[in-house]
Amino acid sequence: MKGYVLRRLLELVPTMVIIVVASFALVRLAPGSPFASEKDIPPQVRAALEAKYGFDKPLYEQFGRYVGRLLQGDLGPSTKYPQRSVNEIIADGFPATLTLGAVALTWALLVGITAGIIGAVRQNTVWDHAAMAAALVGISIPSFVLGPVLVLVVSLRWHLLPPAGWGGWQHVILPGFALGTIYAASIARLTRGGMLEIVRSDFVRTARAKGLPERLVIWRHMLKGGLLPVVSYLGPAIASILTGSVVVEKIFNIPGIGPYFVDATFNRDYFLVMGIVVVDAVLLLALNLVVDVVYGLLDPRITYS
Amino acid sequence: MAAGVGGQRSQDGEAQPTPSERRPGWPQRTSGDTTRANPSRGMLLTLLTALTLSGCSPPDHGYFGTVKPVHGPDEIWINNSTEPEWIDPSTCSDSAGGEIIANMFAGLVQTHPATLEPCPDIATHWDISKDGRTYTFYLRPSVWSDGTTPLTAHDFVYSFRRLVDPRTGSKYASNGHVFRGGAAITSGDATPESLGVRALDDLTLEVTLEEPVPYIMSLLTFYSFMPIPRHLIKDLEARGIEAGLWTRPENLVCNGPYRMTEWRFRQSMRFEKNPHYWDVANVRLDRVRLAMVESSTTELAMYAAGEFDWPGHNSSLPFEFMNYVEGFKDFSRHTELRSYFYWINTKRPPLDNPRLRQALSLAVDREALVTHVTRGGQTPTASLAPDGLAGYRGLDLPLFDPDEARRLLAEAGYASGNDVPPITLTYNTSEGHKQVAEAIQQMWKKELGIRVELENLEWNVFLDKAARTDFQICRMGWSADYEDPFNFLEILSSASGNNHSNWKSPEYDRLLSEANRELDPTIRLERLREAEALAMAGQPVIPIYIGTRSQLIKPYVRGIWPNSLVRHPWKYLWIDEQFDPSAAPVSEPPPPACLGASDR
Repeated sequence: MKGYVLRRLLELVPTMVIIVVASFALVRLAPGSPFASEKDIPPQVRAALEAKYGFDKPLYEQFGRYVGRLLQGDLGPSTKYPQRSVNEIIADGFPATLTLGAVALTWALLVGITAGIIGAVRQNTVWDHAAMAAALVGISIPSFVLGPVLVLVVSLRWHLLPPAGWGGWQHVILPGFALGTIYAASIARLTRGGMLEIVRSDFVRTARAKGLPERLVIWRHMLKGGLLPVVSYLGPAIASILTGSVVVEKIFNIPGIGPYFVDATFNRDYFLVMGIVVVDAVLLLALNLVVDVVYGLLDPRITYS
Repeated sequence: MAAGVGGQRSQDGEAQPTPSERRPGWPQRTSGDTTRANPSRGMLLTLLTALTLSGCSPPDHGYFGTVKPVHGPDEIWINNSTEPEWIDPSTCSDSAGGEIIANMFAGLVQTHPATLEPCPDIATHWDISKDGRTYTFYLRPSVWSDGTTPLTAHDFVYSFRRLVDPRTGSKYASNGHVFRGGAAITSGDATPESLGVRALDDLTLEVTLEEPVPYIMSLLTFYSFMPIPRHLIKDLEARGIEAGLWTRPENLVCNGPYRMTEWRFRQSMRFEKNPHYWDVANVRLDRVRLAMVESSTTELAMYAAGEFDWPGHNSSLPFEFMNYVEGFKDFSRHTELRSYFYWINTKRPPLDNPRLRQALSLAVDREALVTHVTRGGQTPTASLAPDGLAGYRGLDLPLFDPDEARRLLAEAGYASGNDVPPITLTYNTSEGHKQVAEAIQQMWKKELGIRVELENLEWNVFLDKAARTDFQICRMGWSADYEDPFNFLEILSSASGNNHSNWKSPEYDRLLSEANRELDPTIRLERLREAEALAMAGQPVIPIYIGTRSQLIKPYVRGIWPNSLVRHPWKYLWIDEQFDPSAAPVSEPPPPACLGASDR
């Protein structure tokens, strides 16, 4: 087990190297400049700005400097927000994204697993069909549709919650719902599928045969195995939630890190683009590793070698 | 000549056309545009559909959303649309930062909120030398917002030098090139100390101009010319803190009507009345809160809910909603000094032929374009400098003359438009620009038989190509920073880095420079007119229209007077708690003439 984790960690190194090199190359290959301006900038001013960020140096030297700083945990300065470093910007936006993600995920797990269990236990009944129909609808409605409809109905017609903004508990409900629903729907379907696989297995039959009440059979025996597909889904899902949602954060004007994926690229904010890519890659790789380890803990059939 | 002063453009603020052929309040897709391709567009359509389906028709009182001030009588919430890059007067070059600077700092002079005339601010009065080149400003005694440090003429000297100093890295350094020696300092040929701005004593400032330009007073109201707290920057430097951080709220010292108390990155800023502002008695609201909501749909929802009292002038209404919101009583529209035009690369065949360029211009049916495509009440124009601007008599060129266009095409050596080699028209990604381009493409096909291909580029790529004049025809917009035709004509001068046409004329440059040396305003405007006539004969640009500003303002928000530069200082704003939606709308009484003039 230890050896497995260690090997996986070592494997991260070449992956990260490829990601850093590729993101640096891609962002620099894009035409345009971080100092693009509609109004002409005097050449000496442009030179001063480029010198300030080191863009006047040859590319290999810039790359060397970037990697040097990266190894010390410094993601560099931002050209779009010149008063802030990329570290500051990500640290500033991460709590909002994290809060939103936690709410969305809690909502998704609560609703998704419950609906999945109901669907599996009451297979082919009205309950099952209702839950799975709801899940299908949930998967099919994108957040850029769900978000505005929620705003319209809950905020503008019922006046229950603010239409957008950030700061209090009331600001997190609508976006959490908008972001979490699609995950809830996937989790419901995965839970149901996983449970149905288990329900006919020998150990469940044994549990039932020795007279365990159905409630205990479900909780103790079925759920553990039934949730395996959900666990493998959760790794990338959590990473994706933690790195923010471009759409939901825009609709509800949440100051998270989601919109940077798009905006920083449009602004040619080189260091911010690379910073976001690096952080995202680390999160995704780490969570995938965690999932694989948890998988082994849940499923005795899996051994690490 | 004074190069590079004034003029700023915005990415898609110029064209906010509403799609034609659309039933009010009902979404319709335009050709080639799918909701899936663009989430924000999908978002808009959804909201619009939902609005319609839920029967959210104009409420009885006829206003969009609530008409009760949610934040009380002492506070206003405005959207500033985006996180500003800088709120440092020397380095700021975006309108989001400019809005904040304009209300946190007081310069030598300020803009009158209705007439736009320059009024006394920190300067109580001024003398102008006979040759019109030297201005002596007499400053009132005042202090910075720290309450103790006096604001002196030395602060202005420091600020103006800092603006033109290339080491500052100011994208708007060229604004300071009106001052003697400014351009030489930016290009590194002179030291900042040589700038033609000096303090005669603590309260007397002498400003020497490169040329006796009459618009200098209007220009000095612009945010680039606000004073900077020299003592604070020195203090930060002494403490080893990066001086660029002086505008963070924990450090910030200002001298204008409002001071910042909180800055939540990409969320909001809070401002309070600055008790040390010299004219604080006339500042009406205690608090202002600015938000940075980028999505115009979100902004609209927040406006409807009353969170925003005024969406601010850095935002624009989503044009999918334009037809819908136009019917509400809190909707208004006025002309804005913003020109929408097409650059022509005059060096790349076949457009190196001036007759072909003229034919293209005359074949644009501008009247039809603003009536059926842009539909925002824009003024169609075939000339660059707007008629009537600061007394300027426009060229009155024909807006549309297809017969003459065909004649010119033949004269250019083309029997028919089919013989003209393919031309590409480039614009940056925006629904509005696309619709204008498609309409003009059709007009050229119909009237001249010329085939034009459209090329749509991402903003940064577009700017890169425009700067290198790597295009045949490209769209552009130009907003005025001060009221003078020179603001528009300057971009065609040979020296201007904003001239993307490759069209250069020593004669044109001579006329502009002559105009700016001319002390008689009538003769000056006549020279400018001659210059424009010369340029339009060469047709390096195809002017299309002068823009308008369409906006929503809550009816209880008072103290906003429509003006062509869209300048609305916060200090005049107030909340009318007595507002009654059932009563007839009250028109804004005229503001006092030149506030502060009585202190002379």
